[in-house]
Amino acid sequence: MSYTFKRRLSRNFIRFCLAGFVCVCLGPVIWALVTSFLPLSALTSTPLDLNPLNATLDNYIKVFDTSRGLFSGLINSFIISLFTSAIALTLGAMAAYALARLKMPGSTLILMVILATQMFPAIVIAIPLFLAMSRINLIDKHIGLIIVYLSFVLPIVIWILKGFFEGIPQELERAAAVDGASPLQVFRFVILPISLPPLFATGVFAFIESWNEFFFAIILTRIHVKTVPIAIAEFSGQYTTLYGQMLASAVLASLPVVVLAIVFRKFILEGFVEGAVKA
Amino acid sequence: MIRAWNNENRFHRRRFRLGVFFMLPAVLILLVVLAYPILASLILSLQDIFIASDGIHGRFLGFDNYTRLLGNELFQQALLRSMYFTLVEVVCVVSLGLLVALLLNTPSGRHAFYRVVLLVPWALAPVANAVLWKWIYNANYGVLNMIVVGLGLSEENVVWLGRPWLALNMILVADIWKAVPFIALLLLAGLQNIPTYLYRAARLDGANTWQTFVHVTLPGLKTPLVISSVLQSIWALKVFDLIYVLTKGSPADSTVLLNYLAWRETFSNLNIGYGAAIADVLFLLMFLLALAYIRALRPRRALLNGNNP
Amino acid sequence: MSDVTLTNISKRFGSVLACDDINLHVDDGQFISMLGPSGCGKSTLLNVIAGLEEMTSGEIKIGERVVNNLGPFERDIAMVFQNYALYPHMTVAENIGFSLRLRKRPAQEVQQRVMDVARMLELNQLLDRLPRELSGGQQQRVAIGRAVIREPSIFLFDEPFSNLDAGLRIRMRGEIKELHQRLGVTSIFVTHDQEEALSISDCIAVMRAGRIEQTDTPEYVYSRPASKYVARFIGSPQMDIFMGEFERQDGKLVYRVGQARFDIPPLTAQPSAPVDIGVRPEHVLIGEIGVAAEVHIVQPIGPFTYVTVKWDGGEATSRVNGISHLKPKEQVHIHLDPTGLHVFDRITEERVELFAR
Repeated sequence: MSYTFKRRLSRNFIRFCLAGFVCVCLGPVIWALVTSFLPLSALTSTPLDLNPLNATLDNYIKVFDTSRGLFSGLINSFIISLFTSAIALTLGAMAAYALARLKMPGSTLILMVILATQMFPAIVIAIPLFLAMSRINLIDKHIGLIIVYLSFVLPIVIWILKGFFEGIPQELERAAAVDGASPLQVFRFVILPISLPPLFATGVFAFIESWNEFFFAIILTRIHVKTVPIAIAEFSGQYTTLYGQMLASAVLASLPVVVLAIVFRKFILEGFVEGAVKA
Repeated sequence: MIRAWNNENRFHRRRFRLGVFFMLPAVLILLVVLAYPILASLILSLQDIFIASDGIHGRFLGFDNYTRLLGNELFQQALLRSMYFTLVEVVCVVSLGLLVALLLNTPSGRHAFYRVVLLVPWALAPVANAVLWKWIYNANYGVLNMIVVGLGLSEENVVWLGRPWLALNMILVADIWKAVPFIALLLLAGLQNIPTYLYRAARLDGANTWQTFVHVTLPGLKTPLVISSVLQSIWALKVFDLIYVLTKGSPADSTVLLNYLAWRETFSNLNIGYGAAIADVLFLLMFLLALAYIRALRPRRALLNGNNP
Repeated sequence: MSDVTLTNISKRFGSVLACDDINLHVDDGQFISMLGPSGCGKSTLLNVIAGLEEMTSGEIKIGERVVNNLGPFERDIAMVFQNYALYPHMTVAENIGFSLRLRKRPAQEVQQRVMDVARMLELNQLLDRLPRELSGGQQQRVAIGRAVIREPSIFLFDEPFSNLDAGLRIRMRGEIKELHQRLGVTSIFVTHDQEEALSISDCIAVMRAGRIEQTDTPEYVYSRPASKYVARFIGSPQMDIFMGEFERQDGKLVYRVGQARFDIPPLTAQPSAPVDIGVRPEHVLIGEIGVAAEVHIVQPIGPFTYVTVKWDGGEATSRVNGISHLKPKEQVHIHLDPTGLHVFDRITEERVELFAR
């Protein structure tokens, strides 16, 4: 086989694989979208009636009626994710900077602990937290969930941002110190302004993690603070035959975070994957 | 010689003060929501908790809960199943992730579009993923049956989530699909860290594609591969949302994994102490894996430190 | 007064002793270079002087003040870093004026002083640019401007030109020298480039492994190196150092290197231990008289040609004016200029005065 022929063959093979990869990756999602726009009659007919003329928004309209929890779920998830990521970002950036640059004693220990927190099942702390929260009456309250969410969001934020802060050249901070900046002023006028992209990315990441969280949500909420994952889980458990609406609810639940992920893809891709590698 | 031990340079003193101030809030929160519960969990696992009219009481049991669960058949099966699940998932996710990473590292695959494609499964909520696959696996109208029956692989609709061993593996597929993107991105970053001149040198030395892969790519990926394996095994042990939405443990408890079992014992069966014990066993497993993670990273650190004056 | 006195400065990183009992005095207005290879501790010492690193022990005085406990800003020093360390999110004007804005100086004053400094460093066209839009040389000038505007007692330079191309480096040296002549501020300059140190300093401190080997003017560091290390470090190409023996030949004292016997002037003292003799290329003379040798390598560099000759048991490099037409394998004679002999104790490596000057 000639060299160019081999190359063209392998290139086409790769393109074929890439196409296959995209199909496998997006296939289920696209299928879910398609399903959500089809009426129940089309979905339950055999063979499946995929006539695009049947496309309808019916499922999306009805689902808010069927699942009373969906709308409030979206609101609750939004509130909780926003506050969790905001608090985690603020406190986490401060702690990450302290660990990265301000030479705290015991920082290695703290870092090992943070690493460890990513690696155990939520159930371990869920039980005591549930008992404690019941005692102080924080079950089914937004603030309760936010505090508990911090337990797994804060460590990740600290870990990612620490890696980033360590990458900022030390000479920059030294120059600022020589110019007369106090350590706080160095943080405010030099470090923060150049850290905006990774700070933002980490915030988005924290938001996504909070939004998608299910386990603590079902343990620590009852009626008022149901988040959107709970809403769709309930829906799929209760209305097992309303397929179109079930998928519409899943799409609605996922849309915000998938959109966020795509909009901030550059930040996310650069930021946390490298953070994981640098770890 | 003039000793300057209390040399507390004002500059360093202020940095130290700021460091403490900056760390305090985060540390306090973590102490409350992390350290306290972990310790409390250990204590709970040694007790028999029951809820009476006047609140929650505990009766000290010693290690009874642990001996009970070690002898419990359901626990043993859940443990075995979890190990099977974890092993298969890690092997599949890391291999597939590697393939995807290699694919995305080719000239055609470098386009940003493919990376965005990866983000979609990653960003989905695990619950949404579960709902998605529930529909695909639907016995009557799901697309999987449409394909399988349509291709003639089966004569009638398969109840994917209704048969014990099958259900577990279908959950596995759903989780693998969601897990591959992150690992692929991780390995892709690792691939891009391999200096191109190594590839050039290999080509000059006459290595073919396979040899290059084995002698240049794989060694360069050693650390990311180890990290991926350990991370993914820990995440495999954490599976919960899929089980809750897809099967709730059925058929006949054949899809009950350790994490789910712990939850069920505690919050459904209200065996709080017992559930805590299961949780702590799971914790131990993950802790050992985490140690492996740290050990995998340690030698590299030591090497770096050795070169720093 | 802004002279600097370092007394018994030591700095330890874990088990590594980066600075070992350093004593140094810099006069007010003096430009001193700390010269040495990577890892010799010069940058560490500079950071200790700046207050950016805490010393393990010792005392630093600036003027009459003991500044051990003061931070960099309180020590009234300004620093120019190797990687410029410009604030990437601020314009040139904001970079230069940062220290003034921190002091809450009125905007009018900040603007005026930034303009003055920019004009002095020919940066007035670039005031609105961001650092990433500037060339290396321009960035370095902004860094210098940031230091100059502070009007400090002491300037510290940490290998500021290492990242620049050769031609630019030489031009910047001239600019620094001119700046020093104009402002007259005490300056401490760290570099690993001996040519750079020789060309711009009033005084050079040659460092090795955390210690200062010699502190002297460029002239003396070049012509009277205090040790073999200094002798080899200063001067390019490197000084040839012969490990030979004294011998009596026909009643005369000669220094034998291998099979070559070099004439030497009379000794003013008796060497108590074996010594090595070093000679710079300009003092190795090719001519009619002397030791027979064979031409090995000929390297013309424009104004000079460096000719390396070999003999049984040794080799030496000679500097010849202009272009030499010698070819490899030609036979020549070399002798040593009696005024260019440097004697070092073979064991201690210290300079020994054996010949009259």
